Amino acid sequence: MMPRTLVLVVVLLITMAANMAHAGLHVVATTSSMGMLARTVGGDAVSVAVLAPPDRDAHDLQARPSMIRDLRAADLLVAVGAELEVGWLPVAIDSSANPAIRPGQAGYFEAAAQVALIDAGQPADRAMGDVHPAGNPHLNLDPVRMARVAEALATRLGQLAPARTAGFRARAQAFRAAVEARLPRWQAGTEGAPGVVSYHRDLDYLLERLDVASLGFIEPVPGVPPSASHLRELISRLKGHEGVVIYHGFDPPRGPRLVGERLGWPRAELPLEPALDAGPEAYLDLIERYVEAIASAR
Amino acid sequence: MHFQRTYQRLAAAVLALASTPAAGNQDSDPEATIEALSEHLRRLEAEQAELKAQIERLQRATQEQPESETAARTRPAEATSEQVTSGRAFNPAISVILDGVFYQDDIDGDGEALLGQALRPSHSHGHDGHDHSHGAIDPGFNLRETEIAFSAAVDPYFNAEAYLAVSEEAVELEEAFLQTRALPGGLRLKAGKFLSDIGYINDQHPHQWDFVDQNLAYRNLLGDHGLLDTGVQLTWLPRLPVYTRLGIEVLQGDQGRFGALVDDEAEREAAGLDDPEDGPRLFTGFLKLAPDLGYSHALQLGAWYAHNQQHQERHTSPVSHALEGDADLWGLDLVYKYDSPEAYGLGDWVLQTEYLRESKDLSITAHTGDPGLVGDSRDFLTDAWYAQARYGFAPRWQAALRYAAVGLTNEVSGDAEANFGHSDRWSAALTFMPTEFSRLRLQYTRADILTAPGEHRRFNGVYAQYLMSLGSHGAHEF
Repeated sequence: MMPRTLVLVVVLLITMAANMAHAGLHVVATTSSMGMLARTVGGDAVSVAVLAPPDRDAHDLQARPSMIRDLRAADLLVAVGAELEVGWLPVAIDSSANPAIRPGQAGYFEAAAQVALIDAGQPADRAMGDVHPAGNPHLNLDPVRMARVAEALATRLGQLAPARTAGFRARAQAFRAAVEARLPRWQAGTEGAPGVVSYHRDLDYLLERLDVASLGFIEPVPGVPPSASHLRELISRLKGHEGVVIYHGFDPPRGPRLVGERLGWPRAELPLEPALDAGPEAYLDLIERYVEAIASAR
Repeated sequence: MHFQRTYQRLAAAVLALASTPAAGNQDSDPEATIEALSEHLRRLEAEQAELKAQIERLQRATQEQPESETAARTRPAEATSEQVTSGRAFNPAISVILDGVFYQDDIDGDGEALLGQALRPSHSHGHDGHDHSHGAIDPGFNLRETEIAFSAAVDPYFNAEAYLAVSEEAVELEEAFLQTRALPGGLRLKAGKFLSDIGYINDQHPHQWDFVDQNLAYRNLLGDHGLLDTGVQLTWLPRLPVYTRLGIEVLQGDQGRFGALVDDEAEREAAGLDDPEDGPRLFTGFLKLAPDLGYSHALQLGAWYAHNQQHQERHTSPVSHALEGDADLWGLDLVYKYDSPEAYGLGDWVLQTEYLRESKDLSITAHTGDPGLVGDSRDFLTDAWYAQARYGFAPRWQAALRYAAVGLTNEVSGDAEANFGHSDRWSAALTFMPTEFSRLRLQYTRADILTAPGEHRRFNGVYAQYLMSLGSHGAHEF
């Protein structure tokens, strides 16, 4: 009885597995920014699954079983990298029993390894909070770096599906062209902007690109919510300055509200990531919203 | 081009350097040799400096303005498979967990020890020789075992992990295993000493628990550690639309509770018990299923079965007797998690429950009261379960509630009396996590433990605990 049931179950599982396999590259992206890149560059040659929803802090996720299921079937994993996903991605890759997507293999691609990072080589001291000594991983809001990542991704997809190389490269170049077409307008729009207070160090790349000053952070050190004394100190330091407070939906709004009110600054709650199924336009529109928010400080 | 030329020059210099000592010997003029050597060295150093400067210039150039280079547009971008990390070089990832507990109860501190000794239709007394105890907490201050964990990829084919449990008295190897990295078809093989993957909480280390101590069900049927043994495990993750994981384990069977053996040879002989059979003696199989419920919800269902082919017990009351046979244990587990979009764990839920059922098929090998009973068979059946819930009621704060019971079913074949009731326990815990790396916990427990048929000991206890996690970032396992 037992053995026959077991054989039946195994046969059933194998049949289901065979049905699942279909043409096209299975790409698994960790965040919706990475999903956007994979979709933009991959076009109809790829199917894309995203592991982290855009409304969650990608530091804090758990290696859910459905992530492991997605990774099991992946031909290519597109991660942000630089230890942003260190809490859950390594264990999810291990658990997925898919050797093709391990770091070092053609099936592993991380954005942080394709571009130069800021803050790399900072001291690895957790008294400074949940720091990233490998460099700041929040490069997703720098459209220029993202364009560079898109081109690297096109090369990688070309290695995995050589017949589609020309299409991958053309789409990556189109994305770069779209970024370059908007960049001068963004830079002009934020020229002379007085600066930004952000919750976490996740606007640094965008501010550097736009040459806008980062005036401070709501959290005292990465990963720790603001104390009253930290906010007081921040407010007294910035008294008399102009600026804007920018935070995300998953940040507790109390700190940003307090700082904005006391300083008389505008506040903007903006998503860190584009929508789950975003294409390049939605991503560039998100950057546009940041540009408007930064420019609103005057 | 520049690089190539410099390398050629470097190679020439090295060659010259290598040939110089031989020439020096022939000439037997050490000063000239030293002179020639240092000249080469100077030249080498100069070349090296030039090379370094060149690399830096190139790096700066590529980093600063990759986007403005027209060359970058026409040439295909490089795509590296590298992983950017904080660079451990060849060192394994090391983490250290400090675990301190303060405990008091209202029966002079005896309660903690009672929690693992709830009366069941049959259980071995004092044979927990293989157990080093996470659970043994004395009244007052306790420094529990400090866990030191090492993990790394050995080579492209294997990962390895080792966990040391360091107490003031001893260092014990808690887990030490290898696991394959590159098997095809969703297969993974583990070998060494490891926590079995049966159930949900079994493979968690104490610092991963939502409470200070292990639940009553595991503590009584499997011991403080759960099922921890030496052997091999094979798991299969088929490529399916629903997360499905199957596994089997073949283990030595070196257990203190489930499949306990009497260690002392003279004692065994006196009780008519066999010598330990050759291992492996313990076999398990498990299945885990997790339907996809989107990004906010996650559910995992599990079922497992374990068989130990040799189990020995010696009892002293009411009269001295001994039993031997085999033991089976099966269980079901369910975990549901809700991940809220709020920061610092606010609004997150975890609900988990497990049921365990143990049956032992034994025969009497010695009986001082009635030697005629020797050879009679006795089947014992008992069960246990727990359910717990955890809620993030404020940023960085969690509240958790747990109920556990042992012995809801107690059956013994033959003439023995088995209708003696069950033990149960409530626990409530409040946890504050200043960051992901530290944890402070306060726990209240109310227990009703069966110590003899019809005899209960009821007590209230409080625990205060700190957990400090040093070193590499811990994994957020489901």
